[in-house]
Formats: sequence, structure tokens, C-alpha cells
Amino acid sequence: MIKVGIVGCGKMADQHAFQIQRIPDTQIVAVCDAEPLMARQMAERFHVERYFGDAREMLDSVKPDVVHITTPPQSHFPLGKMCLESGSHVYMEKPFTVYASEAEDLLKLADQKGLKIIAGHNAQFTHVMVRMRELVKSGYLGGKPVHMESQYCYDFSDPGFAKALLGDEDHWVRKLPGSLLQNIVSHGISKIAEFLSGDRPTVLARGFTSPFLKKIGEEGIIDEVRVIIRDEDETTAYFTFSSQISPAPHQFRLYGPKNSLIVDDDHQVLIKVINKDYKSYLKYFVPPFGYARQYLGNFRKNFGKFLKRDFHLPNDAGLKTLITSFYDSLAGKTPLPLSHKEILLTARIMDDIFAQVNDQQIPKEKGA
Amino acid sequence: MDSQSENLFGLEDGPFILDSEKTILVTGANGFIGSRVVRTLLMYGFRRVRCLARPTSAPGNLDKIAGEFGQARLDLVKGNLLSRETCKVAADGAAVIYHLAAGVEKSYPGCFLNSVITTRNLLDAAIKEPGLKRFVNVSSIAVYSNERIRRGGVLDESSDIEDNLADRYEPYVYGKAKQDEIVLEYAQRHNLPYVIVRPGVVFGPGKAKITDRVGSDTFGVFLHKGLSNRIPLTYVDNCAEAIVLAGLKKGIDGQVFNIVDDDLPTSREFLRSYKQNVRRFMSIPVPYTVWLAFCTLWEKYSRWSGGQLPPAFNRRACAIYWKGNSYSNEKAKTMLGWRPKIAMRESLRRFFDFMRDVEDKKK
Repeated sequence: MIKVGIVGCGKMADQHAFQIQRIPDTQIVAVCDAEPLMARQMAERFHVERYFGDAREMLDSVKPDVVHITTPPQSHFPLGKMCLESGSHVYMEKPFTVYASEAEDLLKLADQKGLKIIAGHNAQFTHVMVRMRELVKSGYLGGKPVHMESQYCYDFSDPGFAKALLGDEDHWVRKLPGSLLQNIVSHGISKIAEFLSGDRPTVLARGFTSPFLKKIGEEGIIDEVRVIIRDEDETTAYFTFSSQISPAPHQFRLYGPKNSLIVDDDHQVLIKVINKDYKSYLKYFVPPFGYARQYLGNFRKNFGKFLKRDFHLPNDAGLKTLITSFYDSLAGKTPLPLSHKEILLTARIMDDIFAQVNDQQIPKEKGA
Repeated sequence: MDSQSENLFGLEDGPFILDSEKTILVTGANGFIGSRVVRTLLMYGFRRVRCLARPTSAPGNLDKIAGEFGQARLDLVKGNLLSRETCKVAADGAAVIYHLAAGVEKSYPGCFLNSVITTRNLLDAAIKEPGLKRFVNVSSIAVYSNERIRRGGVLDESSDIEDNLADRYEPYVYGKAKQDEIVLEYAQRHNLPYVIVRPGVVFGPGKAKITDRVGSDTFGVFLHKGLSNRIPLTYVDNCAEAIVLAGLKKGIDGQVFNIVDDDLPTSREFLRSYKQNVRRFMSIPVPYTVWLAFCTLWEKYSRWSGGQLPPAFNRRACAIYWKGNSYSNEKAKTMLGWRPKIAMRESLRRFFDFMRDVEDKKK
């Protein structure tokens, strides 16, 4: 039986616990939170035998095989290091670490110890992203992507997170170097990182505060970012983060030398952009019909999965697939679902983005 | 509350456990009920009412009250109960604490954090106050279970507390029940003088919602599930006065009070009046047995599908909201000397007037 510990008993921990409890021969043996009452409530609801207020104590007492770290990002590096040094595999919620250098150290340490570590990039494993990956592997694009576009936006009208963040001057998100961006953009960046080559892609980022946030006095939060990325093979990508586009899109477009793909994560729709020419007016009639058929096919796929009780909402579905694949890899059945390279590239691109947008903010503040 | 009702209140309603010069803390003071509690305390003649409100809450309600009663009697503290420092500042010198701040979140951890951890922080500050005479914890009537009460039977303060709130899939109620538990724990360990108040469905101008106990339009059409059930309504000003009295009356430490008004309407009566006075819309009557069958199937599907649909509709929640019970306010009347001073007819009139304005603004 695989013994699992969870450190951090907030909202994400609940979602992890649901998924872990589905996995055969796996048991959550302990939960831990710096606030012991939070640990206690989670232990009670998930019938976990032991709860702790200190991670060190949990590791020493129950010696878990795997630890899920679902704490705020500032603690990811020290906790991850502590867990690896104690001999536990680690599932780290996103963002993996605050800085890329920390990500590098953790990945190295995991390798040295012969342990596995993964980042919580569950948006990479929604139904539609899994289907996209299969098509790319089958050679559908006709080679390495020429260009990619990733839009990962956030709707500030969402009362949950926005209310918590905007209502609390001391919210941990505000203390991250990338503030709001750092807590969200890894999902959109990792989609691009998966297809990049080399270790140091070129990143050009521009960030600013939306008029909406300025109006409510939140000048310090950058909630609009546009990024251009280029790797050593001249594959390029655009990344967009916005809090003002409504509805907030979560899309990924892959443009290949032969064909292209559009992934609409909001509706779990995958569209093939087929490189086929039609004569004269036919190109205005046949492809639209083909797209209509593709949309209908997506409906059939989604509904079919729903009937087979294998759909779930995208975040849950992604988490379910990622956690299941992670535990399969621990059992030696499959490789890790996310490569170390992808985790590290995501962290490095994020570092570059935050450094650039923060630099852009400084002169503005000085001038103000 | 109109000026007519002002002369209904007064310190002569005593005997009370404190005089008008003592400091009283109200958390959630800018909220729907909290602002009415502040107003009622000022009407009673208290001169030092400390109001704790979140830094982001719009000051509207309290500003209005300050304009009416004078700023000198109000002490506004902005802060979050997750901060122990805020709790310390807020509780400093308080003789009575009315704890109304509530954590309304979608997740269990979120509700626990904003109901229980906040309450624990406040309690830690409260027990250090030598002059504290009472801690009034405002909970909810939803924490009860009616599993052992037959249809139509009375749900009162002696009824069981729900012992499996996770199955009800109601994070807010879970948070409230756990909040009650921690108050009881502190009472036992630290000899904390406390009273728990569990209001029914609080309604009135300021809250533009038909309670789910009547029905809801979750599926695009209004499903009327309450039918002949009595709805445990309490008009916001009546409820506020009951809460105020729970902090003032002598000899009631350790008691729990459910607050519902007199002359409770049935769901059918409420909906009919609503349609006549506010807006006409289509509603489909859904008998309890039909809704219970639906909830049973939904709950089973949720389990079978591994949570593909969350168990938002389930048997326990169905029973507590729509099985149909009667409610008693006898204890509050007897021990608090409380009377719902604004009659149900008038309460409903005010609510409908407010809702009509809301609907007009939507046009």
C-alpha cells in the first residue's frame, strides 16, 4: 500500500484527497497544516487517521511514500526539499516554486535521491489536451510546431478567488514576485513549454494593470500580460493573460508545417485545421460543413464520456488524469506524465516574464 | 426599520448584564443582520458600539447609522478576523461580543477557515478580556437535523444537531456547526460566558432573494418545493433585536435560542403574495416525495459516477429544507422577553416593496 501525506489543508487539498482516494492500494495516512485546526477538519472529513501542525513531525512519524504539497507557493521549495530528503516522492501544486533556481534544485535533488517529483500542471491533462497530445504524437502537425498561441485568462468577476485576493492586503498571492500572474499563468505557459526545444528560450513580455483594477485602486497588481517566446529551433509562441476579456478564454493553438490544431479548454473542443484546398467556391462551403461535423463529433465524444462517468469538469478531470498517471509512474508502469524539462522551462519562462513586467512597473512608479 | 419602531426599544427592557457605557463589539457589523444589530444597540441607548467590518466592505450601512446616531457612539475597526492582531484590537475592553461575521464560501476548507479559524482567533482574544460578560455566537437554524422528527413535527432548540454535515454538501452550514462546536469547547475550557443564537431564514430589505425553502430556479424554471410547509422566517429587524437581547439579558448563559417570527406563512402563501406584490412568474409545484426521489437518485448517481455531478441534491439536505416542520420561538420569548415587534404582514410588505424596487431596476 502506498502511504500518502498531504501538507496544506486548503481548497486544493480537498481536490487532491478525492483523487487520491480513487487510486487502489493507496491511503492518505496523514494531513498537515501550519494551522492544526485546518488539518483536523480535513482529517475528520476524509477519515484520515493522523493530523499534524508541523510537516517535519509528520514526515518523521508516518514516513509517507508520497507527499502532496498544496500550500501557498512560498513554502513549496523548503517543504519539497524536506520531503525529498526524508525519502518521499513529491506532488507539488502549481506554481512549482517561486523561482526557477529553486525548481532546478528540487529536480536535481529528486534525481539524486532516485525519487519522483511532479508539478500540478493539471490543465495539461484535461480530456481535450490529452486528445491533442495523441494527435501531435501521431504526426498530425507534420513536424515540430511552427508557432503556438496560448490564452489563459482569468475572470475577475469570479467572486471566489478575486474576492479573497482583492479583499485582503496581506493575501499570500500579493507577496509573490509575480503576484496574481504567478499563481495562475503556469497552466498556460506549460502548454507552450511542452513543445519548446533548448534550455533557454527568448522571452519578451509586456505587462500592465487593467483599467478595471486601476479604477478600484489596485495599481500594484499586473493583470494584463502579452508574451512572445522563441526557442532555439525558431518555434515561436504568443501567450496572453487577461482579466478583462469576457468570457475568459482558455485556448491553445498549435500551428504545424502541415496542419494545425485548436484546443478550446473551456468547452473541451478540439478542432483540426486541415490543410486541404478546394476549388473555387467549394472552399466556402465544404470546410464550414467539415467544421460543423467536427463540433458535432466533439459533442459526441464529451457526452459519450459523460455517460461512461468519465467526463468530470475540466479541472477535476485534469487532476484525476495527472494524479493517476503520477501514481502509475510510481508503480513503474509508465514514465512521469510531465518531464523535468517541461517543469523547468515553465519556471524559467515565468521568471523571465515577472522580471520584465516588474522592471516595466518601476519607472512608472518612480515617475508617479 | 422605520422611526415608528424606535420607541419600542429601550434599556428599560432590562434587567441587563451591562450598562450603556460599556463597550460592545459587533463583528460583521456592516452586514445585512450586523448593521441592524448595531442600530438596535444604539436605539437601546448604548454609547460605545465597536463595529468590526472587513477592509473591503462598502461602508454604506454603517455610514447611514453614524449619520443618524452620531459618529461618537460608533467605533469602526476595519480588519479581518484571520488576523489575531485585529481580534485583539477589536475585543479590547469589550463587555459583550456579538459575533456575526460569517464565511460564505463554496468550499469546506474556505468556510472552515472563515468561520471556525476566525472564531477561534476572536475567542482567544475574548478570553483575555477580564470584563467580558458574554460572547454571543450567531449560528444558523440550518445546523439541525430533522431525521428523527416526523413531517410537521416541531424543530426547536432540543432537536439533534446534524451529525453528518459532509453528506449534506453544505460547506456554509458545516462551517457554522463547527463554529458552534469551538464556542462550546472554549466555554468548557475557559469558562467563557456564551449564548448561541440560531436565526431561521432572515429576510427583509437588503437581501434580494427568495429563500430556497420556498423554491429555486436552478433548472431554468422556478420549482416550488415548499408548498404547504411553514417557512421559518424572521424579519431582519426582529432577528436583530433577538440577537441584541441574547447579549444583554441576565441569567441565560449557556443557552441556545432559535429565532423565528410569529404567524409564519406557508410557502404557498408566501409565493402567492410575492407574485401578487412583486412579479408574476411561472412556478411548478414539486411535492416533497417527488423531490426526495429526485435527490435520492441524484445522490446515488453522484456516488456511482465518482462525483461527475456533485451531490448538491441529496436526501439529508432535502429533508431539512423541504420535509416540512413547525418551528417554535417559545424559548426566545420566555427567556429573552423577545417579541417580533414587526408583524409578519408588515414584514412581508416591506420585503415585497424592496423586491419590487429591485425588479424595477433590472428593467
